Amino acid sequence: MPTGDYDSKPSWADQVEEEGEDVEPLSPACPAIVKDHGYVLDTPREVINGNIKTITEYKLDENDKKIKIVRTFKIETLKASKVVARRKNWKKFGNSEFDPPGPNVATTTVSDDVLMTFITNKEDLNNQEEEDPMNKLKGQKIVSCRICKGDHWTTRCPYKDTLGPMQKELAEQLGLSSADKEKAPGAEPEPAQAPVSKTGKYVPPSLRDGGSRRGESMQPNRRADDNATIRVTNLSEDTRETDLQELFRPFGSISRIYLAKDKTTGQSKGFAFISFHRREDAARAIAGVSGFGYDHLILNVEWAKPSTN
Amino acid sequence: MRPILLQGHERSITQIKYNRDGDLLFTVAKDPVVNVWYSVNGERLGTYNGHTGAVWCVDVDWETRHVLSGSADNSCRLWDCETGKQLAHLQTNSAVRTCGFDFGGNIIMFSTDKQMGYQCFVNFFDLRDPSQIEDNEPYMKINCSESKITSAVWGPLGENVIAGHENGELNLYSAKSGEIVNSIKEHSKQINDIQASRDMTMFITASKDCSAKLFDCTTLEHQKSFRTERPVNSAALSPNYDHVVLGGGQEAMDVTTTSTRIGKFEARFFHVAIEEEFGRVKGHFGPINSLAFHPDGKSYSSGGEDGYVRIHYFDQQYFDFEFES
Repeated sequence: MPTGDYDSKPSWADQVEEEGEDVEPLSPACPAIVKDHGYVLDTPREVINGNIKTITEYKLDENDKKIKIVRTFKIETLKASKVVARRKNWKKFGNSEFDPPGPNVATTTVSDDVLMTFITNKEDLNNQEEEDPMNKLKGQKIVSCRICKGDHWTTRCPYKDTLGPMQKELAEQLGLSSADKEKAPGAEPEPAQAPVSKTGKYVPPSLRDGGSRRGESMQPNRRADDNATIRVTNLSEDTRETDLQELFRPFGSISRIYLAKDKTTGQSKGFAFISFHRREDAARAIAGVSGFGYDHLILNVEWAKPSTN
Repeated sequence: MRPILLQGHERSITQIKYNRDGDLLFTVAKDPVVNVWYSVNGERLGTYNGHTGAVWCVDVDWETRHVLSGSADNSCRLWDCETGKQLAHLQTNSAVRTCGFDFGGNIIMFSTDKQMGYQCFVNFFDLRDPSQIEDNEPYMKINCSESKITSAVWGPLGENVIAGHENGELNLYSAKSGEIVNSIKEHSKQINDIQASRDMTMFITASKDCSAKLFDCTTLEHQKSFRTERPVNSAALSPNYDHVVLGGGQEAMDVTTTSTRIGKFEARFFHVAIEEEFGRVKGHFGPINSLAFHPDGKSYSSGGEDGYVRIHYFDQQYFDFEFES
C-alpha cells in the first residue's frame, strides 16, 4: 500500500496544562502588544522542542489581571495512505471555512476522562459462591415442614425465606416475655406458629379478621389504625409492596401498606408503614421482624408516631 | 480514555458514519447541517449546508467522493465531499428516512416515510444517468405500504437492500427487480438501526424491543441476540474483534420525567459469540442515537440525544481484555 507521510495537526488531545518552564522564544525580539488599558502584553510564543510544542500566551481576564496561558502539545506524525493524507490537506468549507488550521475550540473539545467499566465473570462467580452455602443450610434444616405445618418439605415452603428465621426469633422472645415462662426458650416454637396456620390457607375476605367491618378503608376511622401502625426502616431499594405483604402477613391481617417510593425512579426510599387491624399483631410484628435480616439489610421496626396533621 | 467532544449540532444526533478509511466522520442531527470531521483529532473539515429540516440519514461512498443525506425537508441531496457543494437535489413527497450508496457509488437508494397521505417508498437512482436526477425519476420505486421502513442498508455486492420496518420486520429487497427476496420477523418493535459487518456477511439490528440481533446478510438467518432493559437505538460490530457495541436508553420522550441515574445511557459492549456484556462506557446525558466503530477497530464514536458526538479511542485495557468463559 503506498503510503505518504503527513504531519498531523497538533494533537490537542494530549494537551497538558502545566506550569511552563522558561523557554527561549522563537523570535528573540518579540514586539509587545499594547492594549487599551495601557498594559503591555507579550506576544504569544511558540516553541518547538523535539516533538513537544509549547505555546505561551498572555491574556487579561475580566478583572484586568494578566494571566499566562501555557499550552503544551505533543506533535505526532502518523503514517496514512495517500488518499487519507490528501484528504487531510483539504480546504475547509461550509461553516468551518474560516477556521484556522487545527481543531476549533468552538466545535471540538476534550471531554473528561471516562473509563470503560468491565464486567467480569469472576464477580458473578463470587456471588454464586456466597449464595450457595446459604441455600445448603436451608436445605439441611429439617425433613418435614416445620415452618407452616404444610405437607411439603421445608425447603419448598413458600414462607421459608421470610418466616423461618423470624419464627425462631419470635419463639425466643415470646418464650421470655409471654405467659408460658415455664417453657424453655426455643424449646418448641409452638406459639409462633399459631398465626401462621391461620393465614397459611386462603380465607375469604368475609371471614378474615376484621372482615365484618366491610369497606372500612373508606370510613374515617383511620385513627384506630394509627395505633396498630408500625414503621419499618432500612429496607432495600428493591423492596416492593408485595414483599412487605409477604413479610408481614404471617403476623395478622394488614389493613394498609404504605411504601415510600421515589417519585421519579419508582424505587423504594427505604421505609414503609404497615397498618395492622389489631394492635397485638403489630406488637408481634415488631418483636418478630425488628433486627431481622432482609435482603442483606437489618430491618428496624418500631411503632409509627402518630402523624401530626 | 479521554473522548473528543464534537459540538457541531444544536439538536439531537440522528446518525453518524465513518468513511471507509475511517479518517472522516460524518454526523447528522435534527438540525439542517451535515458535519464532517477528521476523526484523528476531532477537527471539523466542513459542513454541507442546504437542508431546511432535520437530517435523518447520511452516507458516503466507498472512495469518499460523494456524500448523500436525507432530510425531513422532503429531499435527498448529493454533495461533493471535498468542497461541500451540492451536486443533486432530489425532491420527495415525504421525509427521507434512510439513504445509502451501493459499492460502486453509482447507485443510490433512499426510503421515504409514510406520512401526509404518502406511502413509504424505496427509490433507486443511477447517478451515471443525469436524466434520472434532472427529471427526479428513479429507475425503480418499491412500495412498502404495509409498515414503513425505519432503517436500511445495502446488502453485499449491491444486489439487495436490507430494510428494517416499523413493525420489527426485516425484508431483503432485490435491487434489480424490487421483489422481496427474503423476509423475517424476529423483532417485535421498530428496528432503529441496521449496520453490516465489515465483510458484509452479517448485519446487526437495533430494535426498540430492547434487543439487538445478529443476522446473516443473504439468508436473514437469525444468529445471535443481545438483550438489554432499554430500547436499543444503535448497534455496531467491531471490525477486528468479536465485539458489538449497543447504544440506547430510555425513549427521548421519557427522559425529562425520570432522573439520569436510571437512564442507562451507557454504550454497552457485548461479546458476539457469548452474547454477554463485558463493558460499559458512560458519557452521554441522553440516550445514544447512533454508534459507529472506526474501520480499524481502535476507536468508536457515539452520537446522542444530547446533541454531542463523542470520539473514543480505546485504552490498552480494552485490547488486553480477555473474555473469561
